[in-house]
Amino acid sequence: MNIKKKDIASEIFTGSMADISFLLIIYFMITSAFSATRGLDFALPEETDTPEIKQEDAIEVHVTPGGAIEVDKKSLPREQLLPYVLEKLQQNPEKPVILRTDPDASYGDMISIFDLLRRANEEWTDDIGNPIYKDVNGDPLVEIKTISIPTQREIENIWNLLGMG
Amino acid sequence: MALIRGRDRGTGAAIFTASMADIVFLLIVFFVLTYKVEVDKTQMNLPETWIRKKIPEKAAVISIAPPDRGSTIRVSTGEEMALPVSTIEEVITFASTEVAKNPNTEFILKADKDAPYARVDEVLDALKQSKVKYIFLLSEQLTAAEL
Repeated sequence: MNIKKKDIASEIFTGSMADISFLLIIYFMITSAFSATRGLDFALPEETDTPEIKQEDAIEVHVTPGGAIEVDKKSLPREQLLPYVLEKLQQNPEKPVILRTDPDASYGDMISIFDLLRRANEEWTDDIGNPIYKDVNGDPLVEIKTISIPTQREIENIWNLLGMG
Repeated sequence: MALIRGRDRGTGAAIFTASMADIVFLLIVFFVLTYKVEVDKTQMNLPETWIRKKIPEKAAVISIAPPDRGSTIRVSTGEEMALPVSTIEEVITFASTEVAKNPNTEFILKADKDAPYARVDEVLDALKQSKVKYIFLLSEQLTAAEL
């Protein structure tokens, strides 16, 4: 006797796939964050390596509330900052820049000046990265080697050491 | 004589959906690859800078909220949601713990551009006291027109 074999339907049901897919898309769209992933890097000195910086050996940039700057105790427009620093570094390329910000200033004020100082590398090189300026020794001058951002506590410590606290 | 009329033909108006599955899966793959849980969801206006370097993915995060939200400080290891801290000593404890786990731990400072610098100064000082080596100051891109 011939017995017919029944064909078993072996298809996977895909009718709800579109619903699940759209649900996943909506979930990822809502929860994913295209957050800012870039910023200014800043290496803190290790205390054992911190050289003693005398104020007269450094270029002091003071950011006042509102974003104006005083460089070496003289008021200076922002666009004059890098030319001033360049002139000083051409005489002494090791001169550090001390960026001191008034506690009443905003974080944005400080960041804009820090960014301006970091931009020295772009300003002092040509389109293909060759140095434009040279220091007194004839070596290329392409960046500010040391930008120090002392905290209020560190400034007070220095004042106390100098007996001015 | 009655004319034999042909049946009205339907105008095939169906939307072609065969490629929909491909598009949908492509989108899912895109979102899965770019998906990143934001550890700190505090809404703030970041400062704009011209120089911007890519920040490391596994860095610890310290955020300072805008002044209208009390300049609250939040901390996160980078893997879990940020938690508010009430004193600067807690920031020192948090940073010291992270540095003890890995001396090269990088920290991201996410602060509102209107945050008082005194608050930022406290956090920077806490990080210095905790022997942190690298900090990234999170920022938005400054456009050429704003220079």
